[in-house]
Amino acid sequence: MISLGLWTLLQKEVRRFLRVPGQTLLSPVITTALYFIVFGYSLGGRLREVEGVPYARFIVPGLVTLGVVTNAYLNTASSMFVMKLQGTITDLLVSPLSYGEILAGFVVAAVLRGLLVGAVTWAVAGAFSGFEVAHPLLALALVVLAAVAFSAFGLMTAIWASSFEQVNFFPTFFITPLTFLGGVFYSIEMLPAPFRAFTHVNPIFYLVDGVRFGMLGISDAPPAAGAALLVVVATGAVGAAYAMLRSGYKLRG
Amino acid sequence: MDTVVAIRGVTKRYGPLVAVDGIDLGIRRGEIFGLLGPNGAGKTTLISMIAGLLRPTSGEISVLGHDVVRDYRETRRAIGLVPQEINFDPFFNVEETLRMQAGYFGVRLSEERLVEILGALDLLAKRTTNSRALSGGMKRRLLIGKALVHDPAVLFLDEPTAGVDVELRRALWSYVRRLRERGTTIVLTTHYLEEAEELADRIGVIDRGRLLVVEDKDVLLSRHGAKVLRLSLARPLAALPAPLAAAGARLEAGGSVVSFEASGGDALGPLLAAVAEEGLAVRDVETRRTTLEDVFVRLVSRDREGAPA
Repeated sequence: MISLGLWTLLQKEVRRFLRVPGQTLLSPVITTALYFIVFGYSLGGRLREVEGVPYARFIVPGLVTLGVVTNAYLNTASSMFVMKLQGTITDLLVSPLSYGEILAGFVVAAVLRGLLVGAVTWAVAGAFSGFEVAHPLLALALVVLAAVAFSAFGLMTAIWASSFEQVNFFPTFFITPLTFLGGVFYSIEMLPAPFRAFTHVNPIFYLVDGVRFGMLGISDAPPAAGAALLVVVATGAVGAAYAMLRSGYKLRG
Repeated sequence: MDTVVAIRGVTKRYGPLVAVDGIDLGIRRGEIFGLLGPNGAGKTTLISMIAGLLRPTSGEISVLGHDVVRDYRETRRAIGLVPQEINFDPFFNVEETLRMQAGYFGVRLSEERLVEILGALDLLAKRTTNSRALSGGMKRRLLIGKALVHDPAVLFLDEPTAGVDVELRRALWSYVRRLRERGTTIVLTTHYLEEAEELADRIGVIDRGRLLVVEDKDVLLSRHGAKVLRLSLARPLAALPAPLAAAGARLEAGGSVVSFEASGGDALGPLLAAVAEEGLAVRDVETRRTTLEDVFVRLVSRDREGAPA
């Protein structure tokens, strides 16, 4: 049973992104659909199969993951940052909501947006490449954990940031490059040895690889490694965001 | 006396800057307390610490017996804050804004209460208007509505009528009085001294983070205030008769005006008797009571003369 306070915050956060669906849902789906069409078809024509699956199918898990983590991050980041900018953060700070309730309200709404974008991306891609999922529960669990972790990153970045530029640091310099270098569009078996070594220290690689195992049943690394890493990162991120809210850092002077 | 908000030795520092400096203050149940001070005096910092927006560097604040840091959930339920800066969420309309704010406080806003708040703040016609489309005055009223949704025991109004026209200001004042009649304790910061004079039961004057004085408004006015009497004479005098000079009167305007300042409890009777005894023909009488503004300026300038800048 959740409190009325948390339920209200959660509803507010969900309604906020549902009121601008073009920006929060449609736009990310179009972006990933473009990746799918451009890479899936142009390269897919040449590559045909990677690790025994058609290339167009091979890239779906990575695209879904990219959509989920980017949108989970953007939801908390933009909501918290805009509240700070407009001063409406005061409405929450004077309320009796606990730190855990504030954190849960932001994170759960962001996870829902991430999953919605992921689901629509998967549905669009599936229409071209098929809907079979090898381990649906595992795939869902990994995607949810990833969304939790990135929504917590988004919240922390927005609390820390004093400009929109700083809010965009994380997606520009971390999410996008590490995702593109994390095996969304290729198997690491296709890389020369030095790049392969680099990929092994990229945390997003384990995320994409784990989701690919969940969806397609194939992977480059042991799937348990990706799952374990993700549990550690998600727990750490949520713990750090909670500690940040509790400390009052940048919010309660 | 029943104290609702107890502030004990509260200090707030930002590096070398001391925004609030060792303040002790008790707010009494059911009163309207006016916190006055020049810009940057520490008014907003002080009430932000009570409402939980800022944490004190040292000292303790309790609301209805609960510590604002340790038992923050209890104290925040008891407090409504109308912040100085207008804020609004452009995603939501007036009704949604009020319902959400009530929800954060664990309160389901009944239709009756919603209509009552909207009516009192003259926002009924704007119930489904997006908050972005409201005028400045309406946005400020919506802020007051948000602070009232959970029926707080103590309402903090931080400069509530800044930028509000005269008619609306009067309407807000009468609503504040009505809230007090219903038992809400009200703390008001303002730099419109007329507002404090009109509304407050007690006044605290704060400057550079320190509380200079806390007193009943009437006591403050009679202790620090003065009554100025100006008598315009039918025939100018060359010199002030000795009994009048002894009473403290002054001759002004080329000998045609006798002026006298009665401070504190001094009575004007002896002076008027002396005027009659001297047989002075008085053409006009003008009296003026010092306002809160005079008292405020006097207190703050006295504080600044006595302390290093």
